[in-house]
Amino acid sequence: MKRIAVITTIYRYLSHAQHFADRFLVGYPKEGRWHRPDMKVVSLYVDQKPEGEQSEDRAREFGFSVYPTIAEALRCGGDKIAVDAVLSIGEHGDYPTNEKSQVLYPRYEFFKECVKVFEADGRAVPIFNDKHLSYSFEKAKEMVDDGHRLGFGVLSGSSLPVTWRLPDVDLPLECEIEEGLMVGVGGSDPMDYHAMEAMQCMIERRKGGETGVAAVQLIDGEEVWEAGKDGRWSLELLEAALSRSDTPCGLTDEDGRTQDMIRNGEIYRLVENPSAYFIEYNDGLRATLLMLNGAVRDYCFAAKLKDEPVPVSTQFFLTPTPNVTYSACLIAKIEELFETGIAPYPAERTLLVSGALESCLTSRLQGHVRLETPHLSVEYRAPAESQHARR
Amino acid sequence: MEKRPKIAAIATIYHKYSHTQHIVDRFLEGYGWNSRHHHPPMDLVSLFVEQVKDNDLSRDRLERFSTMKGYPTIAEALTLGGEELAVDGVLIIGEHGEYPSNEKGQRLYPRYEHFKQMAEVFEQSGRGVPAFNDKHLSWNWEWAREMYDISQSMDFAFMAGSSLPVTWRTPSIDMPLGVPVSEAVCVGYGGVDSYDFHALETLQCMVERREGGESGVKWLQAYRGDAFWEAHHTELWSRELFETALCRSHTLTPSRPGFNNPFPNLDELKDIVKDPIAYQYEHNDGLKSTMILMNGLVQDFNFAAYIGSNDEILSTQMYLPMPPARTTLANFFSPLVNNIEQMFLTGEATYPVERTLLTTGLVAAGVDSLFNESTRQETPHLDIAYQPTEASTFWRT
Repeated sequence: MKRIAVITTIYRYLSHAQHFADRFLVGYPKEGRWHRPDMKVVSLYVDQKPEGEQSEDRAREFGFSVYPTIAEALRCGGDKIAVDAVLSIGEHGDYPTNEKSQVLYPRYEFFKECVKVFEADGRAVPIFNDKHLSYSFEKAKEMVDDGHRLGFGVLSGSSLPVTWRLPDVDLPLECEIEEGLMVGVGGSDPMDYHAMEAMQCMIERRKGGETGVAAVQLIDGEEVWEAGKDGRWSLELLEAALSRSDTPCGLTDEDGRTQDMIRNGEIYRLVENPSAYFIEYNDGLRATLLMLNGAVRDYCFAAKLKDEPVPVSTQFFLTPTPNVTYSACLIAKIEELFETGIAPYPAERTLLVSGALESCLTSRLQGHVRLETPHLSVEYRAPAESQHARR
Repeated sequence: MEKRPKIAAIATIYHKYSHTQHIVDRFLEGYGWNSRHHHPPMDLVSLFVEQVKDNDLSRDRLERFSTMKGYPTIAEALTLGGEELAVDGVLIIGEHGEYPSNEKGQRLYPRYEHFKQMAEVFEQSGRGVPAFNDKHLSWNWEWAREMYDISQSMDFAFMAGSSLPVTWRTPSIDMPLGVPVSEAVCVGYGGVDSYDFHALETLQCMVERREGGESGVKWLQAYRGDAFWEAHHTELWSRELFETALCRSHTLTPSRPGFNNPFPNLDELKDIVKDPIAYQYEHNDGLKSTMILMNGLVQDFNFAAYIGSNDEILSTQMYLPMPPARTTLANFFSPLVNNIEQMFLTGEATYPVERTLLTTGLVAAGVDSLFNESTRQETPHLDIAYQPTEASTFWRT
């Protein structure tokens, strides 16, 4: 039975640590069964322990120990690494933000502590790193490189790429994409990250595979709509993405009506501060993330494929709180990593998204300039088999 | 250019989140469909609303959509104020509004009465047009049967039912056509004579695809409270299928504080579900189906069945994006309206109304069983055999 160390910022109700780690403790729904991983959480490190946190309760009930350092957690108090995998969850908790409004979660630091143990003890084990690898591309790259250098599996990212889709579609592998567009909502940098990774998991399937990002630009406010009218992003794709939304606001909130938010102009009225994240890829593909707070409350994607008259579109289904069964979809992938040592999809996806997001936020900080991003020439291939929930 | 069909809507009430609002608004305003904001290629030209109260939206809709006119009677809505039937399709939406309940707790929505008034106009005009009846046909079995018989004898396309058969599924699967099914379960939520119907339609749209098609139902028995737990304990229905259905839910009430998604044990189930209800029934070909309402435990509709020669399990959730807590739009009405549109365009129902005739009878039998101390109800009148459509009709594009 595989032995798991959990490394986290905070363990309280509805934190990522709680709903991720708990699934290893009490099981989770998978393909119509209550699945109990054949793995045991043997140790836990928690960075912050405010009142009401659950780490000691869980340790007592499920028979593992909480250790004061990451090294001790990985060695279970001994002098050699004593676990077979690491679940690293640096999300939630009280951490400062930088001038780009990125929360400085210590994911890199957690990861490097693990790597230190791996190197010292001469054995490396798979790591799952929740959400983006780091707020800094440089740090993120070092993390992925460590995985390659020491030969351990690294899986990272959000639940959005693996949750249910409405409809259940994936882009055909090796398709030719003319343009991609994602609609997201929420704050920066937690929620734009989710939206960008959702977009990336779709467009990485294009012909030739992922080639990396050549340049980015982030614009805010009225200019976003102007850019749409100028054809910098596609109104047709926005309509396609919105056709998948279950949460239009404004008039729908008022009296329940369906609405064509673009043609009735509501979208322009509802979104006080739209943002557009323009991503230019090395192979020439352009994709745009629109953050449209106030218009909708869900995450929808659309792409125009060559020779297809109608865009492909879907909603990434974020199932309701508190079950958030979308995270169960991600746990199944983590379990696969822990079981086989091989990530079911490449950490390079998350690396690229981490870097593209960071550069977008830099663009905003520098007055919304277009930034060339030669450092983001991250190439990889998507797995041939679709990875989202569909069984 | 082809003539755009003219549609009449006959409604009990038109307020925010009423079925009328969900359905009629989609004809008027259009709706998101296949990457477009789709406008049905037809005109909703007349509206009859039986109850107009403070929260009414019909006046707003009539004002904003000049192509639609309000009429004080059903006959006038169908004749557009003239002598003869003047529309090409009819929506009957008898859900919501203030109507009395009978001693069995059934809400006496006037679907039959509205249908009969429509049929009278058809009769006088010497022709019928396609009609859609929202939800079950009537609370009264004899009336429901009469509605069906009229549609058959007058030979107009007739569709009815719930959104459950046509909404998204997670996973997006259908019952393979012609496969043997040995037992089926739906675990849902809601009240008697309301959401039980949705759960029964969930079951029926799946099991009707089994080997031989639907054969009708012999008997039904309801279980409630302690009798439910006793039946659950003795596995009158498959525990495995029940648990599988729960594993398809996205809304399992946490059975322990501090955990967001644990799986409840039997004691916890009893603690969470104060008033469990089941309708178990046997089809004429021997299949046993069980509809279970677990209020407090789930807020979605989940299906599980043993299929094939090795009793493999097939399971899914019929997903309802349900406002106002989770969404703003009840978009499960979009595939329903889309199916209705197809009927209005082609003159053919996209799935058999016999399904809803049967589920209407099952609701009535369930209500009767509960009203009669959960006794078994023999249902020779539900000897309703029919074949499913070959193609799947649920939302998957």
